[in-house]
Amino acid sequence: MLSRTSLKLLLACAFFLTITPACRTIQKPRTDGPVARTLTDDAGRTVSVPFKVDRVISLAPNLTEIVFAVGGGGQLVGRTSYCDFPPEAKSVTEVGDTAHPSLEKLIALKPQVVLISTASQLEVFTQQLQNQNIAVFITDPHDLEGVFRSIEQVGEILGKKEQATTLVQSLRKRTNAVEEAVKQKQPVRVFYQLSPEPLYTAGHDSFVTDLMRRAGAISVTADVPGAWPKYSSESALAAKPDAIILPTGGSMGSGNSTVAEALRRSPAVLQGRVYKINDDHLVRPGPRLIDGLEEMARAFHPDAFK
Amino acid sequence: MSAPARPNRVTLRKTLISCALLATGLLLAVVFTSLVGSERLPVRASLCALASFGNTSCGLTSDQFDILFQIRLPRIILAAAVGGSLATAGAAYQALLRNPLAEPYLLGISNGAAVGTMIALVFFGANEWTRPLLAFTGALLATFAVYRLARGRAGSTPERLILAGVIVTTFLSSVIVFVTTLMDATRIRSFTFWLLGDLSGTNKALLPVTITIAIAGALTLTLNARSLNLLMLGERDAFDLGVEVSRVRVVVFLVASLLVGSSVAASGSVGYVGLVVPHLARLSLGSDNRISIPAAALGGAVFVIVADTLARTVIAPRELPVGAITALIGAPLFIYLLKRA
Repeated sequence: MLSRTSLKLLLACAFFLTITPACRTIQKPRTDGPVARTLTDDAGRTVSVPFKVDRVISLAPNLTEIVFAVGGGGQLVGRTSYCDFPPEAKSVTEVGDTAHPSLEKLIALKPQVVLISTASQLEVFTQQLQNQNIAVFITDPHDLEGVFRSIEQVGEILGKKEQATTLVQSLRKRTNAVEEAVKQKQPVRVFYQLSPEPLYTAGHDSFVTDLMRRAGAISVTADVPGAWPKYSSESALAAKPDAIILPTGGSMGSGNSTVAEALRRSPAVLQGRVYKINDDHLVRPGPRLIDGLEEMARAFHPDAFK
Repeated sequence: MSAPARPNRVTLRKTLISCALLATGLLLAVVFTSLVGSERLPVRASLCALASFGNTSCGLTSDQFDILFQIRLPRIILAAAVGGSLATAGAAYQALLRNPLAEPYLLGISNGAAVGTMIALVFFGANEWTRPLLAFTGALLATFAVYRLARGRAGSTPERLILAGVIVTTFLSSVIVFVTTLMDATRIRSFTFWLLGDLSGTNKALLPVTITIAIAGALTLTLNARSLNLLMLGERDAFDLGVEVSRVRVVVFLVASLLVGSSVAASGSVGYVGLVVPHLARLSLGSDNRISIPAAALGGAVFVIVADTLARTVIAPRELPVGAITALIGAPLFIYLLKRA
């Protein structure tokens, strides 16, 4: 009696197991274009991308900004709920947030490429998309050069190589202007407060650490391992920063608008050198990062920009 | 009742001796752990400043002095209060529910308090007093829910209780997940860390409240320990022996929920403290609640102080959540205890 039930179950399982791969093979010939190009992404993976890409999904706000900035907004068919810039992005279909996008929706949108940043990277999910013949391209910049590379890569994928090159050139020009202006200045010792409680900061692997260096400052946490480490309050107090950067007021809300308690008596606070900068200009490794660079440099060295 | 007079005196002496020893251990733990941290402080000067209760700097620079008295010591004292609260609450739940596995974290009571704190954070963010208050309410409601779910027609069995705890825990976890998706990015980051149990955001305004509740709660439960001893025989037997069962039950539930609520509001859900520490107390000192409850209170304080010291030093200047450490120590120790029992 029991064996008959289990036999039925076994048969059912066997049936589904045999038809599932069959379904997949039916879908397979849907490859676009004759030959695909191969690109290497920031995770070191070799990604095969069709020559002509006209359907792309971005799973991170900075990537959405890059897609629009290189003139590929028309090719964007999906974005996350965090992707709110440029305003045109909001009319693109939402596929969930960065960490939990809806796989069904993603597949239903039939993208050729899905752009993800490590912040949104989900391994299982990557595998499933690849099984659907959708290329997954990972960006993971750790410094400004890495951000420029992301822009060029996205431009290349979308067939907007020229626009991307022009964009990077103009961003480099602005960067060089900032670096030139602060070159003779004594670097400011700065603490980057990502959140006050618990205390998070930017570490060695963060692109913001590079950005602060270019803005004429030295991050007191530049040697802390990791990109966004949780930081000891006593070490923050002992570091005695001369300036504090609070990324706040943008899409992260106003949660980070006060200095952490351990830093209330730091030289930065006593000298009134606490600078609030729109977090969208600092935490999204895209074109607007240069706005953040300029804003920080002006805050650190106001006399260099007269 | 003349016969128990001598055993009572023996118990009292044993209680006092073990508590005195544990209190000394607690004091030593506070002093020693305040000498370690991500910043190195001069040992002799620090000890001297500690001995003067912060009245003289003993040659510490003002930054070193601030690190010791504004950051490190408050955090250690909070760790002690949280550890004491959770261990006492655990011991009380175990006695009242006659179940060695009863623990605020495993029964979902910590999650109840977490939901309460979260509501306070989202809706009354500026008013920090609402946090322990709503955490207490949440803990109380969760306790009540577990208690009612566990009481079947055939009465409550340990297995039923744990199952009820699992149901309440998972339900409240999904509430937590739901509300976190509504929070902004900065809040989510701090909140997920806090959920794992984190003492780095020591709130000085709430510190006296947490300490007062820990001490008052431990004392109240110790004073009810004799009734709890009788309750461990079964509610009917306890009633026949003259225990006002319903009154004791209400008092213990209220006080234990208050303890869990105040510690969760201060530090998130630090797991396994309420399980491991009372077990160790009973294993070493016997199952008499008059001894094991105060011993658990002091032992829990030491346990969380040590765990948090590890959390803030092993990868310094980065930090781990203390809940990860207590679970790492707690879970294997608990398996060992289970196998031995």
